[in-house]
Amino acid sequence: MTTTIEHMRNIGISAHIDSGKTTLTERILYYSGKIHRIHEVKGKDGVGATMDSMELERERGITITSAATNVEWAGCAINIIDTPGHVDFTIEVERSLRVLDGAVLVLCSVGGVQSQTITVDRQLRRYDVPRLAFINKCDRVGANPLKVRDQLEEKLRHNAVLMQIPIGLEDQHQGVVDLVAMKAVYFDGGEGSDPRFAEIPDDLREEAVRRRNDLLDAASMFSDELTEAILEDRVTEDLIHAAVRRGTIARKLTPVFIGSAYKNKGVQPLLDGIVRYLPHPGEVKNIALDRDTDSGSPAEVVLATDPAAPPVLLAFKLEDGPYGQLTYIRVYQGRIEKGTELVNTRSGQRIKVGRLIRMHADHMEDIAEASAGDIAALFGIDCASGDTFADPSLNYSMTSIYVPEPVISLAIKPLDKNALDRMAKALNRFTKEDPTFRTFVDPESHETIIQGMGELHLDVYVERMKREYNAEVETGRPQVAYREAITRKVEFDYTHKKQTGGAGQYGRVIGYIEPMSEGTYEFVNEIKGGRIPREFIPSCDKGFKTAVKKGDLIGFPVTGVRVALTDGQYHEVDSSDNAFQAAAIGAFRQVYPKAKPQILEPVMKVSVEGPTEFAGAVFGSINQRRGMIVSSIEDGNFSRVDAEVPLSEMFGYSTQLRSLTQGKAEFTMEFLKYGRVPAAMAEELQKEHAEKKARKAK
Amino acid sequence: MVKKHLIKRSPLRVLEEATHGGPGPGALAVLASPKGVGKTACLVHIATDKLFQGKAVIHVSYASRVDYIITWYEDIFKEIAKNHRLRDAVAVHDEIIKNRVIMNFKQDGMRTEQVLRSLEAMITGGKFNAETIIVDGYDFGLALPAELEKFRRFAGQMGLELWFSASLKETGGDMFRPDGTPVLLVPHVDQIDVLITLEAKSDAVEIRVVKDHDHPAPGILPIKLDPKTLLIAQEK
Repeated sequence: MTTTIEHMRNIGISAHIDSGKTTLTERILYYSGKIHRIHEVKGKDGVGATMDSMELERERGITITSAATNVEWAGCAINIIDTPGHVDFTIEVERSLRVLDGAVLVLCSVGGVQSQTITVDRQLRRYDVPRLAFINKCDRVGANPLKVRDQLEEKLRHNAVLMQIPIGLEDQHQGVVDLVAMKAVYFDGGEGSDPRFAEIPDDLREEAVRRRNDLLDAASMFSDELTEAILEDRVTEDLIHAAVRRGTIARKLTPVFIGSAYKNKGVQPLLDGIVRYLPHPGEVKNIALDRDTDSGSPAEVVLATDPAAPPVLLAFKLEDGPYGQLTYIRVYQGRIEKGTELVNTRSGQRIKVGRLIRMHADHMEDIAEASAGDIAALFGIDCASGDTFADPSLNYSMTSIYVPEPVISLAIKPLDKNALDRMAKALNRFTKEDPTFRTFVDPESHETIIQGMGELHLDVYVERMKREYNAEVETGRPQVAYREAITRKVEFDYTHKKQTGGAGQYGRVIGYIEPMSEGTYEFVNEIKGGRIPREFIPSCDKGFKTAVKKGDLIGFPVTGVRVALTDGQYHEVDSSDNAFQAAAIGAFRQVYPKAKPQILEPVMKVSVEGPTEFAGAVFGSINQRRGMIVSSIEDGNFSRVDAEVPLSEMFGYSTQLRSLTQGKAEFTMEFLKYGRVPAAMAEELQKEHAEKKARKAK
Repeated sequence: MVKKHLIKRSPLRVLEEATHGGPGPGALAVLASPKGVGKTACLVHIATDKLFQGKAVIHVSYASRVDYIITWYEDIFKEIAKNHRLRDAVAVHDEIIKNRVIMNFKQDGMRTEQVLRSLEAMITGGKFNAETIIVDGYDFGLALPAELEKFRRFAGQMGLELWFSASLKETGGDMFRPDGTPVLLVPHVDQIDVLITLEAKSDAVEIRVVKDHDHPAPGILPIKLDPKTLLIAQEK
């Protein structure tokens, strides 16, 4: 199917865990005719929702990878990017958000705005993604969609406007009143597939009129035409739709829909809302960096959502399937088809488009072409996720996605020799897919180390190794990624000299090292008049870079250090690249202890939510773990505690929290900053490090 | 300037002197003014002064969002650090904010007992040894004197110093009685140990002690609120 750009939508569905996101996606696929039977998450039929394409996700009832799938509704082609719901996998979420033009924020009508909702909303805000809200699970006991709307306003500062009000709640939930058409909507037929419009029930009439007036008030802010029509009493549905659309795209209004995906209520009107109010790709400004500029520094260019322009596309997701590597792409500019020549602007590698497909969860459909605005997938392309492909005449790069540094590491060991090869293959794949997942071999212990954003993050990869690659590994104790940092400026003057027999070595470096608050390492050359020849300056830089990789306190990288070279000396014959590298390393090692180094540890931002009665227990548990409570919020029986806790103290917290609160509280955490380790602990860590070193020396 | 001198030179010492060492443990103080005069800034300044002294503070808010309050603290801290050329400002900042917790409640439907229970949970369960509680956004128009009495009793039991802000609204009649007591607070006056009002004058905000335990009230103090920074400043 070829679609004009006005009839395209690229949307994501974002939510807190357990808000019913996967169920909603499943229903959307069902009503749009993409699947013919409904499966539930962790379904009794053992099939699971279609969007959770990985076995592991099915077992755990969570969605980890974002599959893209295409549906049609009301003449529109909608690409749905299923985004993961757990905070440990935010890089996946962020990458999906990069390619979205709009999003549906799913909320639970009982839980309302929860910690994870706040996180995903913040991410959507960062990428300027317009959103609709869907208040799900109105059939649940305690459902209160009106309160959730208030929370959208208070907690997320959305200008949230009800497009519907519910007809009955909890087990009485029958449908919704459409406040634009002023009709009741019931969902008849098997699986609710026949929406039936009817008169508004008498007892809801007054409220419907009142809420409609609120809607008109809010919408009229975005349309003078609508304002006039209201005054002259000739409001039409189209006028309202146009005004709401304008407000939504400007991200100044959030239309709120209501229903219960599980009970097949309210999904079709939501689909109408997606088509009506969320922008098409041509309405969204996309920026790339042009690296071929006269000035030499990259300049921002706005991409033209025009099929006739030279193509620019972003590989936002890789998947290893039974048929080889599948690369999900979003076309931002131009048009591609089989045989189109493209260049990977990161690696410079040229490729030719081969098989082009559109994905429907686990099934795929071959397509002839993809043009600006489209999301599709390519076969047989070797690249990393986040790479930009463009017409060979362009050297564009899509602005990069923010990648946080890993905070936790784990040593893994294959159980047997066969597993070793398979493990290497799996690791190679995972690091390509996920930039927050890293791996290396520790040169001292010869162990393979994997690094990531949290315990669960690494657990999932260990499981995937086992399931997808049949590589069973033993894991060590999770290890926090410490850092070292200097706290004061010190000067160095160091001579590296070896002039006894054979080729000599000579290099002298003079300068200072000082702490800096931002960045990890900076090298400044302040030498005037060639006291060190130009060709040896990079050697010094390289030497210092090597030196900061391992601090002397506990052998972790030194961060936040500026090295300045102010003077030096060289020898006509004996100076060399190696000599100056050695001089730099020697200089750093010599003055490092004088710079009052300290040990830093990752500190997490932790949010705990649960009933108020457990607030005391939660406060206590955070205090126990060297945490600092920043704030607590109480609203009726609901309480949320925000705290800063060192990652090294967070192991096993989910178990403790569960037992403290009878499973009624939950927490999320994400990396916040590096903070100073208390003196007693620093001593302990240094002692351990010294013992380890001594053991090795034996 | 180092932290020690900064504490000694704070204009808040004038306030303490005028009120016989400040409200003190177990006492309840109220800072009252019409909206927009600088109550919150003033309370945050008082709290920051306690933090500089190494004391722990719980900031209870009935209205504002947490991030809004944090911004107040950041701004006031920056202003003080700048004015006094505080040495190692970043380190001092990181050190003192460890002693500050913000607790946000909704007053409608939130019973005083529950608020006090949560405060107690923070102090005992969370091992947060607060000496001062700041209560911002409490609606004296809605609350009965008996509710305030519960706070005061709690302060007595736990040895806490309580600072409330009271927002005075235009009601048509006089806002203050001739003796300086805000009309809104007349029913609560028995529960209040120290009552201070702020009044905007043309060039600055005047600070007046209307009630000081059982001592005669000293009246207008020789300190003012700087209209630009809303910080308490000594008169030049």
